[in-house]
Amino acid sequence: MSRTSRALGIAALALAAGLAGAAVAQSGSIVFTSWGGTTQDAQKKSWAVPFTKETGITVKQDGPTDYGKLKAMVESGNVSWDVVDVEADFAAAAAKDGLIEPIDFSIVKRDEIDPRFVTDHAVGSFYYSFVLGFNPASLKGKTPKSWADVFDTKTFPGKRTFYKWSAPGVLEIALLADGVPADKLYPLDLDRAFKKLDSIKKDIVWWGTGAQSQQLLASGEAPIGQFWNGRIFALQQSGEKVDLSWEQNLTAADMLVVPKGSKNKEAAMKFIAEATSPEGQASFATESGYAPVNVKSAALMPKDVAANLPDKHTASQINLDMSYWAAHRDEIGKRWYAWQAE
Amino acid sequence: MTVTDVPMAPQSPAARRGGRGFAPVLPALALVVLVFVIPVLALLLRSVLEPAPGLQNYATFFGSTTYLKVLGNTFLVAFTVTVVTVLLGFPVAWFLAIAPSFWSRLLFAIVILSMWTNLLARTYAWMVLLQRTGVINRTLMNLGLISEPLPLINNLVGVTIGMTYIMLPFMILPLHATIRSIDPAIFQAASLCGASRFQAFTRVMLPLTASGIAAGALMVFVMSLGYFITPALLGGTANMMLAELIAQLVQSLLDWGLAGAAALVLLVITLAIYMVQLRFFGFGQARG
Repeated sequence: MSRTSRALGIAALALAAGLAGAAVAQSGSIVFTSWGGTTQDAQKKSWAVPFTKETGITVKQDGPTDYGKLKAMVESGNVSWDVVDVEADFAAAAAKDGLIEPIDFSIVKRDEIDPRFVTDHAVGSFYYSFVLGFNPASLKGKTPKSWADVFDTKTFPGKRTFYKWSAPGVLEIALLADGVPADKLYPLDLDRAFKKLDSIKKDIVWWGTGAQSQQLLASGEAPIGQFWNGRIFALQQSGEKVDLSWEQNLTAADMLVVPKGSKNKEAAMKFIAEATSPEGQASFATESGYAPVNVKSAALMPKDVAANLPDKHTASQINLDMSYWAAHRDEIGKRWYAWQAE
Repeated sequence: MTVTDVPMAPQSPAARRGGRGFAPVLPALALVVLVFVIPVLALLLRSVLEPAPGLQNYATFFGSTTYLKVLGNTFLVAFTVTVVTVLLGFPVAWFLAIAPSFWSRLLFAIVILSMWTNLLARTYAWMVLLQRTGVINRTLMNLGLISEPLPLINNLVGVTIGMTYIMLPFMILPLHATIRSIDPAIFQAASLCGASRFQAFTRVMLPLTASGIAAGALMVFVMSLGYFITPALLGGTANMMLAELIAQLVQSLLDWGLAGAAALVLLVITLAIYMVQLRFFGFGQARG
């Protein structure tokens, strides 16, 4: 038994040493978690690098964002993420469930942020539009314009692709395609939306990640569908012959949040202030093709880039209703996944 | 008879010495308790405590046609993959055991090498091959053999192909160990006694390798039950397996009570299958 207890003692020591090491490493650094890929690269370049230069606080990149992990950290009290990029409907639900800290608006300048994309617990990270993307070569020269065209398998044959996870977007698209006027979307008529989706269900290929959506479109595997505008922008930048329609583009924002119990709350708030500053937002938007949430950013951006942003396509733009989604997220989610698995 | 060549041979001398050999196992045991037993218990607790104490999560699980369908899918996929893996793995294991050492080593290296390659990379490679605009469909269409792309992905076919490929080594390795331990003279004896090749296979080879087949099949079946990445990428949502459902519940819906119930159903079924295996093939042989 003595050998055993000694072994356990050594193990405990090693564990303690590991914890102590982690504690030392945490001073003067924060962990930023986002979705990886081209988006997080741009966030690192536009926000983290200048932030470290100004404050001396290092920013460790982690990811991808995982809501389950975030919840587990908060519940266990062992929070290793300080700032997390999340979807807006989750931000609203997380605020309700007490998973995130209130934003310190003595550090973050609320009046500079587009009021659509700021709440007491979350500040916009960037805002994007879901747009109709298509691959002209695979559609034999026909040009889809509206969401109804995505449901028209006669004129535009082939697979269509939509966002796989239960989130604002697809149900709205189905209703718009079915003729529901934009100002009558909410509350969502779920029966009608699922019925419309049923009409093309066998032709749907779901994308779970931005990279997957790009691969499906560029290869022509799914020549038409719903995409994040920044992902189409990135494909076009790399020379792919893909196009998009801005008609009834659906906007939503990613939000920056601080998990409840973050050990570096103040540094986290400072980082959010930097990320949402006019310069930080302008720089990120130039890199990514997503729109800035700071109202002062557009003036700082190159004109040709600014012309491609969602905020230049507001004429037929529809804002996804995050407060509706926050209230109905669970109920819609259950129905969504059950319908998918049918 | 079959255990001698297997790395995991359970009847090691240390184990037979009993109590005195037990101490070295403790660190590993502590680790298993820490990283496996405790989390599983925590999950079990959540499944009966969240959102309120009671069995409502289990009632939801078994009362929902969706979840039962997903459970059925899980078995269908695991069973299909196991059968295909046995059929494909047996000849390879046989060849590995009887081939001249150069060829056998080369083939062994190929089998092992595939295990060392990143799972995600391998699955994406299959996506590129199998999709409608992929290499296989394009080649077949260019040859004029088909006019419409074959649906090879986002369905059961895609999952089976992708998972069989990943599971093959887990069938080949135990089977190979079993076949190699058979004395080749037995087949000469069978033939001298007048057995045809078919009879030698069904009445000598199969019974002697049954434990190896069972061990490989068990491993493949159980691993397939809990598989996640490959079905998520190569299957359609209509072929969803339980692991993917659990991930949805944990990550997207944050319904950990129901996720815990689903995970426990999977665990109990897996253990039950293992027990059945033990009953019919015994402890030592179940492993090789």
